[in-house]
Amino acid sequence: MLDVGRHPNIELRAFTEVDKVEGESGDFKVTLRKKARYVDEAKCTGCGACVEKCPTLVPDAFNEGLGNRKAIYSWFAQGIPSTHTIDPGYCRVFNGKKCGVCQKTCQAEAIDFEQKDQLLELDIGAIVVATGYDVFDPSRIPEYRYNELDNVVTAIEFERLLSASGPTSGHLDRPSDRAVIAEIEDLKKQVKKGSRLLANQEKKYEEKSPDFYAKYKAGEYPEDKERQKWAGQYAEQLRLQERLDALEKKAAGFKTAKKLAFIQCVGSRDHRFYPFCSGYCCMHSIKEAIIAHEHDPETQTTIYGMDIRAVGKGFEEYKVRGGNSSNISYQRARIAEINQDKEHNPVLVYEDTRARKIRREKFDLVVLATACAPNRGNKELAEKLGIDLSRYGFFQTSRVNPIDATRPGIFVCGCAHSPIDIPESVAQASSAAARAVQSLRTLEREEKQKEVGKAS
Amino acid sequence: MSKDILVIGGGIGGIQSSLDLAEMGYKVHLVEQLPSIGGKMAQLDKTFPTNDCAI
Repeated sequence: MLDVGRHPNIELRAFTEVDKVEGESGDFKVTLRKKARYVDEAKCTGCGACVEKCPTLVPDAFNEGLGNRKAIYSWFAQGIPSTHTIDPGYCRVFNGKKCGVCQKTCQAEAIDFEQKDQLLELDIGAIVVATGYDVFDPSRIPEYRYNELDNVVTAIEFERLLSASGPTSGHLDRPSDRAVIAEIEDLKKQVKKGSRLLANQEKKYEEKSPDFYAKYKAGEYPEDKERQKWAGQYAEQLRLQERLDALEKKAAGFKTAKKLAFIQCVGSRDHRFYPFCSGYCCMHSIKEAIIAHEHDPETQTTIYGMDIRAVGKGFEEYKVRGGNSSNISYQRARIAEINQDKEHNPVLVYEDTRARKIRREKFDLVVLATACAPNRGNKELAEKLGIDLSRYGFFQTSRVNPIDATRPGIFVCGCAHSPIDIPESVAQASSAAARAVQSLRTLEREEKQKEVGKAS
Repeated sequence: MSKDILVIGGGIGGIQSSLDLAEMGYKVHLVEQLPSIGGKMAQLDKTFPTNDCAI
């Protein structure tokens, strides 16, 4: 990534979208829309002082909403470019409130609330489409109850939980437990605020709250509005403290997830959604289970799938190694339903097809190996580029030249083309680069030949 | 005609394409809709089958 930012031949245009494409191969007129960051790219040093001061918490999209970021943010810590961006949907200034703390903090004077989208026109010879994929939305599968059950996560959410730079610093804290801990933090703040209010009242009346409350309950102050307020505050404080104590007791028993289940083919190889195999999910489930085991050797994993498709150099060996040394067992099954017990443990209901028995098994955390779905923006982009989509919504390519889109001068690589893993994406990306250069060289040659023809 | 090349998408595919094209001496415009490049791969902790770090 760093190389891209530094290379003299690469103009990195982040936070920018394609607005319009006209012309033809060798002579495209492309209009780009550079979206307003409300931060001057030329001035921002990416120091992050603004982030520290920003008062507004926003769910962090990079961490799949599992953690929080601020309304002014960098997409992720090592992101290139490191220029920060203000999210106008959450920023106090854009929502009519008084703030501007970032502007006061920024020593580079990079914050510009007046910034507007900019349109850029470029002359382009060839286009490479590398727009990737979207993670399949598992809430479309009602029997997995992804939206209802806290401890059912997608593979990419699990990646963020496993990551040392993620919201849990790599510990497998269960989302239901994290929700309780967040509530405890919130309650602590409320209790602190409440005790401040009570301290004021105690000072005013020179009496301790519990003593006063006992008298109040006995009916000593029937008409006193001020004391009624105090009693209300104290009752609320008691209620908060009781809830806090109960939650803290519960949280003391929390452990990280040790018994994991992976469900394969969530959305893929399923005629309700995508009939194709997404190709890489078997391998990423094995990888995630191995990493989880590396992190905590007590981790036990079961991978449920119709079969394990470990197709690739060294992949089968990786699968066997996972089974032998990382406590992974592979179970042939198609999960019928996910339920939940009182402790928020997901319970899988499935047929063990080898034993021909219906089984129920309890886990700490369930990971859904979600399908590789076409990018939501593909249709719009295909219309702008004037190219076709396949029946599933990926970009259609030629049968003879599998990198070429349906219009000359436009090439497709990676998961924009079809579901493929990282090494294949890299290989295809190099192919697309080569094809783009080839198309330009052919056009150049033809142009030269025309000139020679004219001259003779 | 123009010799510049537009790469749409700053994930691993777009990054690799851009670097190859730039090394071949072509001017590349790499467009990414999010604030930073990296795409899905930047969200991954490690990659199979070598367990190498993704970033």
